[in-house]
Amino acid sequence: MKAGPSISVRNLTKDFRIGLKGLKLRAVDDLSLSIPRGQVFGLLGPNGCGKSTTLKIILGLVTATSGEIAILGLPSATPAARARTGFLPEAPYFHKFLSGRELVRYCAHLSGVPSNRVEAAVDEALALVAMAEASERLVGTYSKGMLQRIGLAQAIVHDPELVILDEPTAGVDPVGAAAIGRIIEAMRVRGKTVVLCSHLLGQVEQVCDRVAIMDKGRLVLEGAVEEVLERRDRHVLTVADLTPAALAAAETALAAHGARLGSVTHPRRSLEELFRELVTGSRDA
Amino acid sequence: MKAALSRCLWIARITFLEAIRQRFFAFLFVLGAVLVLSSSAIRVFDFGHSELKFIADFGFGGLFLFGSMLGVVMTAQLFFAELDNRTALTLLAKPLGRGEFLVGKFLGTWAVLGVFVIALAGLLGVMLGWRAAELAAIAAERRLSPPEFDAAGLGLFALLQWLRLGVVVAMVLTVAAAARTFLFAVVVGALAVLAGQLQWLSQDLLLKPAEAGLGRVALWLLTHLLPNLQQFNLGDALVLAPHQVQDGTLPWVFASGLAYIVAFLALASFLFRRREI
Amino acid sequence: MRRWLPWCGFGVLFLGVGLLAELSWRRARLCLPEIGRRQLEPTVGQGVLLGTLGGFRTVVADFTWIRGYVLWEQKTDRAGTELLMRTACALDPRSRFFWENTGLSIANDMAHWEIRRRGGYAKVPRDIQEHVFRTYARRGLDLLDEGIVSTGGSPALLASAALVAELQLKDLALSADYYRRAAETRGAPWFAARFAAANLWKLDRRREAYDWYRAHWLKTLRLEEDGSPDDLKELRDMEQELRLPWLARLPRQSWEMAQPGLPAMSSENVTTKPPVGGQSRK
Repeated sequence: MKAGPSISVRNLTKDFRIGLKGLKLRAVDDLSLSIPRGQVFGLLGPNGCGKSTTLKIILGLVTATSGEIAILGLPSATPAARARTGFLPEAPYFHKFLSGRELVRYCAHLSGVPSNRVEAAVDEALALVAMAEASERLVGTYSKGMLQRIGLAQAIVHDPELVILDEPTAGVDPVGAAAIGRIIEAMRVRGKTVVLCSHLLGQVEQVCDRVAIMDKGRLVLEGAVEEVLERRDRHVLTVADLTPAALAAAETALAAHGARLGSVTHPRRSLEELFRELVTGSRDA
Repeated sequence: MKAALSRCLWIARITFLEAIRQRFFAFLFVLGAVLVLSSSAIRVFDFGHSELKFIADFGFGGLFLFGSMLGVVMTAQLFFAELDNRTALTLLAKPLGRGEFLVGKFLGTWAVLGVFVIALAGLLGVMLGWRAAELAAIAAERRLSPPEFDAAGLGLFALLQWLRLGVVVAMVLTVAAAARTFLFAVVVGALAVLAGQLQWLSQDLLLKPAEAGLGRVALWLLTHLLPNLQQFNLGDALVLAPHQVQDGTLPWVFASGLAYIVAFLALASFLFRRREI
Repeated sequence: MRRWLPWCGFGVLFLGVGLLAELSWRRARLCLPEIGRRQLEPTVGQGVLLGTLGGFRTVVADFTWIRGYVLWEQKTDRAGTELLMRTACALDPRSRFFWENTGLSIANDMAHWEIRRRGGYAKVPRDIQEHVFRTYARRGLDLLDEGIVSTGGSPALLASAALVAELQLKDLALSADYYRRAAETRGAPWFAARFAAANLWKLDRRREAYDWYRAHWLKTLRLEEDGSPDDLKELRDMEQELRLPWLARLPRQSWEMAQPGLPAMSSENVTTKPPVGGQSRK
């Protein structure tokens, strides 16, 4: 039996009341999304587009105005659903007086790891994020990159099926960002579903299997990375086979000039180009 | 159930560790200790009370005043620190219920206040014991009966004060669960504690015979919704005149304190459950 | 409706807990004499102080007393003096010192301040002066009565009340009653029984005076270390005045036999409690 999606969002809407008059600010507008299992899914959008709100609603930290959300087949706002989910918030902050190991141990207990398995789970998580050596130091002495990695460790210590990472590389140098990218890849290899929010589009393009782009609370685009990045309105002609008749004429013309058509493919643009095309036009104005 | 308790205790443990490191706690503890120690030095201002009562009153006052300040400010600070620093985001994204989170915060804060109460009461006990021994020697010389204090009564009083502070913590957590800012929680929490200290006035008014009316109904509602914190201030009787404490009084006071703690925590959980983090 | 249901539930929960707290308070307040001892009015302000100061109230009472004493020395602000002294009493109602000194100040001193305020003894008519003296004596006595209740019947306060009744109100019967109550209290001053009997004697209630004094001596004073010889001497004088038959008098004490000037008695009237030391004042 085929397993359902890891996250299923149907007609999600979230309004915030602001000011004394109770005016509504619509942060998420009728969003429907399905994130399959075992993939790395990128959730993109400019600041204020509603992606963090969507993540918070998925995790039960914020209540939806309307709509349904399920995590791994369970209603999202339940402890049972969160038991199989790991979360790293944007710019994480942890208690500075704890060591890295103590922090991860604390989170392991809260996440329901059996007591007799806690130490092994902590060692495993620290090894995965390459923080074993620094685990006895206080969290207050960590650099930004180390904080992100220890944050990853606390998110995965209980071996969740779904991991949600909100800006895991924000403020991290390229070396640290690359390290985090490798960790995400390692999680995918282990069969976990990873939902990644990031502004580092180059990294998202490399790491993610599917992406969704949000703008002004709405889903603008969603699909496999390869598919969405293809430019279907244009063709790249490689002189080889170009069928049918329109191609034949070109071929004839090219042959007349002594050239051979090798292949016909669709041109590719970068994710950044696509992103700018879709959402940044009005902002630049 | 066992898992829920374990999670609560883990939250409590980290809350305790965070609280015990705070300078505010150390400052108030030192202040309270200085107050108790100085009682012996300024007993020249004592008029007619027994010396032991004067020393005891300093201790009672320190426990009452600084304990209340600590209870209000520390509870609000520990709660809002989690929200403002966004550690609550990480924690509440785990399979941790909102009620479990609040109970854990309560237990951790209450434990810190327990340390405060035990330490200050212990110091007070040492002062009373030392001075009682001196006065006993003087009384023996003059063939008078020596002044006495009840050490077990002091222990019971410390327990009562800890329970009172538990009610304070639970009240402030309830306010904080609904409040948007730390300052609001502290101010309203302090007012609630003050109202609790003065609630006995309306209770006593109700005990006087009077005609039923809207005012009396309002008074009755008020006395039953606000906790009566004055009932925990039995230090004089417990420590210096234990024969004045009737049998059966303390179990009722303990039961009422625990009932208020449970009720306030339930209300706090209800208010917090839909709060957006 | 569904939105209000949880709130109704919490209302019921808190009302239930409140009922439990009410039952608890009915018991706890009896351990707090400053609260459980009297009606509240007009002490709502004092009630606020009691509620908010906690253990510090007695320390505040001390400093309030100091302020009141400073005003007492100046003798110009009667109302302020009385207010501060009464506040000290309310803040620490178990302290005999505050009650005694406040009561005596009101009874003995404030009448004179009032007369001086009204123009002095030469100006204020005699009957007005008497009225003022009696009014303040009564007020002082009322305060001492309150103190007696608060302190659980302090014999020192009873003795002070007796003094006020005798010297200011000229009420020997009331004074005798206070002295009697003081004598019957543990830790009574040595003179209480004697003065009780003396005042009754002055009221020509001689037999009553003797009967009570005798019963009290037999029950309590005789058991003192020295056998209370001074009180026994008073009783002997009473017996002489009342011309009581020998058999109706107190039996001779063995230590009385050793003192010169006493008439001889038959042996069956002699009790054998030996004295410890001679006559003594307590």
